Amino acid sequence: MLPFPRARSGPLLRSVRCLSSRQGGAMNVFDRSMKRKQKQWASSLLDSDKYDYLRDEAGSRVADRVYDVSRTFPLALDVGCGKSHVAEHLSKVEPKCEIPGHCVLADEEFLPFKENTFDLVLSSMSLHWINDLPGALRQIYQVLKPDGVFIGAMVGGETLYELRCSLQLAELEREGGFAPHISPYTAVTDLGNLLGRAGFNMLTVDIDEVQVNYPGMLEVMSDLQGMGESNCAWTRKSLLHRDTILAAAAIYKEMYGNEDGSVPATFQILYMIGWKPHESQAKPAKRGSANVSFANLSKISKLQTVHQKTNEKP
Amino acid sequence: MSSSNVWTRSRARMRLLSELLAQCSGEAAAYGKCVASTNTGKQELTKNMCVKEFEVLKICFQSAAKKGVK
Repeated sequence: MLPFPRARSGPLLRSVRCLSSRQGGAMNVFDRSMKRKQKQWASSLLDSDKYDYLRDEAGSRVADRVYDVSRTFPLALDVGCGKSHVAEHLSKVEPKCEIPGHCVLADEEFLPFKENTFDLVLSSMSLHWINDLPGALRQIYQVLKPDGVFIGAMVGGETLYELRCSLQLAELEREGGFAPHISPYTAVTDLGNLLGRAGFNMLTVDIDEVQVNYPGMLEVMSDLQGMGESNCAWTRKSLLHRDTILAAAAIYKEMYGNEDGSVPATFQILYMIGWKPHESQAKPAKRGSANVSFANLSKISKLQTVHQKTNEKP
Repeated sequence: MSSSNVWTRSRARMRLLSELLAQCSGEAAAYGKCVASTNTGKQELTKNMCVKEFEVLKICFQSAAKKGVK
């Protein structure tokens, strides 16, 4: 039976991934064996390189963030590396450096590594298919050494809202109810909580919006399929009626189309950096230890020159 | 894969779909406007609210498909 909620004017109903409030029991949203089959099918395509653009872009931005951290990392782990987009970009910056790598086939929810092994853990564009995200983040925390860092990128927030809304409206108008076709994403606000609960501190979370233009809705869907990003939620409908597809494509073009006839698809990529606690890290200052007042904020340029002068004196 | 199964045939039909839809852009725009207007208006979107525009779109689409096959 399809759910029959009504569409209101304004934001449409959408499913949101909430933090699991159940103790011990993890959420089971995705059919992981189906996802494995979809990824294997996608990688067996002859032209699978055509679909790498999004992962490549996210991988290059994660590599940028790794280089922003002024430390060397002897041992790193890339969770859900796919075709190793991040490692490729990391080795591009230093042409002489060869990053030796070893691929292990494992499940992101059951990392087969000892505690305190890695200086750096990366994850690019694979966390959005994990059922138990808090548990996976906790495992990443455990395999990190103290003062190790986790740099990750995952799609979240309002990704593919155009596709979601078009399909919802089309199904409502054509069939009278709708089923979820886009998987639920983590909101930005939840991400900080998740990382904090896993034990990370000194968190940094930011969003990047990547908009890709396609000729039409069907090209969006076929590209997503080629990337191995087809829906694998347990609640997915296995059938999309011909009429609904036609209606959704028309709605997509009309509501979101650009002037040149193309349609945009938005990918909101959330980047997160979290550190495993260590004594050498800066701690928040004790309450009452301030020696400068906010009232002096307007005089901050004068304060800086005074500081410089005192430093230049022998 | 050289075999022709239901998945390869339906995927081939889907590729045609986007080309055929391009030939009916006017009707598609009319249907899209109808749905969009109900979304922003006070009334909620119910089944077959824009059925007239959709029938026009479907007829245009089917005639384009018939022309395409020949």
